[in-house]
Order: sequence, then C-alpha cells, then structure tokens
Amino acid sequence: MRLLIDLVVALAIAIAVGAASAWYAIDRGRLFNSLSVGEWTAWPESGSPDADPYSGAMLARSGEVPLGAAEGLAFSADSDNTGAPLTGRCNYVLVGQTPLARLWTLTAYDAEGRLMGPAEHRTGFHSREILRRPDGRFEVRIARTVQPGNWLPIEPVDRFRLVMRLYDTPLATGSRFGELTMPQILREECR
Amino acid sequence: MTRTLLFAIGGLLLGGIIHIAIILLVPSYSTRDAWTSVGRFGDDNQFHLLPRAEPGTEALPYLDPGMAYAVCRFSLGKGPVRMQAKLPETFWSLAVFDRRGRNIYSLNDRSAENSTLDLVVATSVQIAELKQEPREALESSIVIENPGNSGFALLRVFVPDPTLADEAIDALRRADCRALS
Repeated sequence: MRLLIDLVVALAIAIAVGAASAWYAIDRGRLFNSLSVGEWTAWPESGSPDADPYSGAMLARSGEVPLGAAEGLAFSADSDNTGAPLTGRCNYVLVGQTPLARLWTLTAYDAEGRLMGPAEHRTGFHSREILRRPDGRFEVRIARTVQPGNWLPIEPVDRFRLVMRLYDTPLATGSRFGELTMPQILREECR
Repeated sequence: MTRTLLFAIGGLLLGGIIHIAIILLVPSYSTRDAWTSVGRFGDDNQFHLLPRAEPGTEALPYLDPGMAYAVCRFSLGKGPVRMQAKLPETFWSLAVFDRRGRNIYSLNDRSAENSTLDLVVATSVQIAELKQEPREALESSIVIENPGNSGFALLRVFVPDPTLADEAIDALRRADCRALS
C-alpha cells in the first residue's frame, strides 16, 4: 500500500512538473539565442534547422512563419525603454536609427498577434515612406488619436507589441557592423 | 519518510524526461503549425495568393501587412517541384520550409540577381537522379534539397504603396509551383 501511494505521488509529480514546465517553456517563448538591443529582441536562429528544440516547438504551436536568413530579421518589443510594458492607454514615440537594412517595416500587434484598428487605417510604416529629420533620424508617434508626422495608430488595448522587421540585413546572417542601434521607445502621456 | 522523498526525487527526474519528450514531440503532433494552416488555402503544388493582411483577416499569425504573399505547399511524391515567377523590381523574397516548419532555404531579389525566381525543390534521391540525367531546362534553376517529401514555400513581395499592390498581386497570381514531369 505504501509503495502504491509513493508511486502515485512520484507519477503525479512527474506529470505535473513535466507538463507544466514544458507548457511554460513553449508559452513564454524562445529562451535561447536571442539578440537584444535595448527593449528590442530578435531571434536570428528561429526557424533555422539549427534552432533549439524549444523554438521549434513554439513555432509549431503558434503557426508563425519566421523570416529566413536571406529575407531579414524581425525585432519585437513588448516594453518601452524603461522596461514598462507597452499599453494602449499611453502614447509612445519611437526615435532613433535602425541597423543597416535595405528596407524596414514597423507594425503594432495586440497581445494575440492581431493587427489593430479599422481596416482603412494604416497598420504599419516602412522605411521608404517615413518622414525624416534632416539628420536622417526619424520619429514615429504611436497613439490612439491623430498625431502630426508619422502616426502609427493603436487601439486602447491592455498590452501591445511592436515589431520592426529589417529586410535584407547582414544582421540576419550573423554579421555585425559596429555597434547595433535600434530606435528607442519613449513613453509620453497616459490616460 | 526518506523513501517518500526518494520517490519524489524520482518523480522530478521523470518529470524532466516528460518535459523533454513533450518539447520534442510537439512539432510532430501540432495541428496549428504553419504547414497545416497553409493547407487551408487550397491544393498542394500550386501557389495561392494570401488575402491582404488587414485587421481581422490575417492569413497567418504575425505576417507583415506591408507585403503581399503567395504560398505553395508542395509534396515531392510525384517528382521534384519547380517554382517559377517573374516579380516586380522591388524587394521580394522566398523562404522554403520543411514539413516541421524549419527554414531550409531563403533568397531575396538581390541574391537571385534578377527579378525572376526559378527554383527546384527535390529530395536527396531526386537530386541524385537530376545529376545523373541533367535536364537542359533546369540549367539556370537553383536546386535545393528538402528533407522528406513535404514542405511549403512562402513568397513575399514588398508593396510600397496600396496603389502598387496590383502589380505585386498579379505577379504572385502568375507564380508557378508544379511537379516536374
């Protein structure tokens, strides 16, 4: 009887620990081989045949199709430059410069990975349409209400995510030229 | 007490094994993976234009709305599959994935050196056959090896402006993905 109880306890621990930790690891996302620049993170190896099993399992569950090395690299940010999570209750301004790439796009997604806003609104910006300052730097205002300049609309969601995709960038194939700079996400007023 | 503790430690170790097993098995059993969801768009061995990514109508999660897409799910059972397309003079790229969603090959308009895409996906046996009996028509094609019989390819074309979307969509509609006979 003792043996049976012990066995049941051991099995219960095994299943609970195994399943919960696996679920957590897949749900929390790619833990390894990330490339972080400030508030931005990218996973250059995600989806490649050499990627770790966790990233494989996560892609299989999300159904996401990652960018190939010759295509580019996607950086995503869930928080501003102070580390506070991005929320639709606040306005943000993205300032700075991007790493070397032939083309980049900036898009906002809600927590479920869906695009936001009514269909006639813009859902993203790309490097060839953005208004720049004379020194080449640029500013994108991320807000619910109309803003002057480059305005990326969002909805009053609890959490959102910004994704900046750099297309045809040497970063995706592992080359680095000097220091990596990504734009900063600064929080402005909240409501 | 000591015995129960030993069993608990044993349970933890077994939990570790279960963890590894789940992580390794998820890609084989997932029904939400990219290969499965790409099958929704139509028959295999054919490019299908994806609907424009707009709020509420995303074809696949986290696709860039700044691009137009076509996807071809291929199966190499009837022979190698050849993908051909004439694409606009702008950024475009193609990524080939195996059955488990691993990216086995990618190229962009610069690495393709011109605005045409000509690529053959084959299994290792089919590649050996192609080498033994080279076909003239395939001389300019890029030949890549796919582990296993199935996979998919995602072709994307940059749309700088909504008014230029038609050009990209036309090119994607005409993109070809078919088994070599």
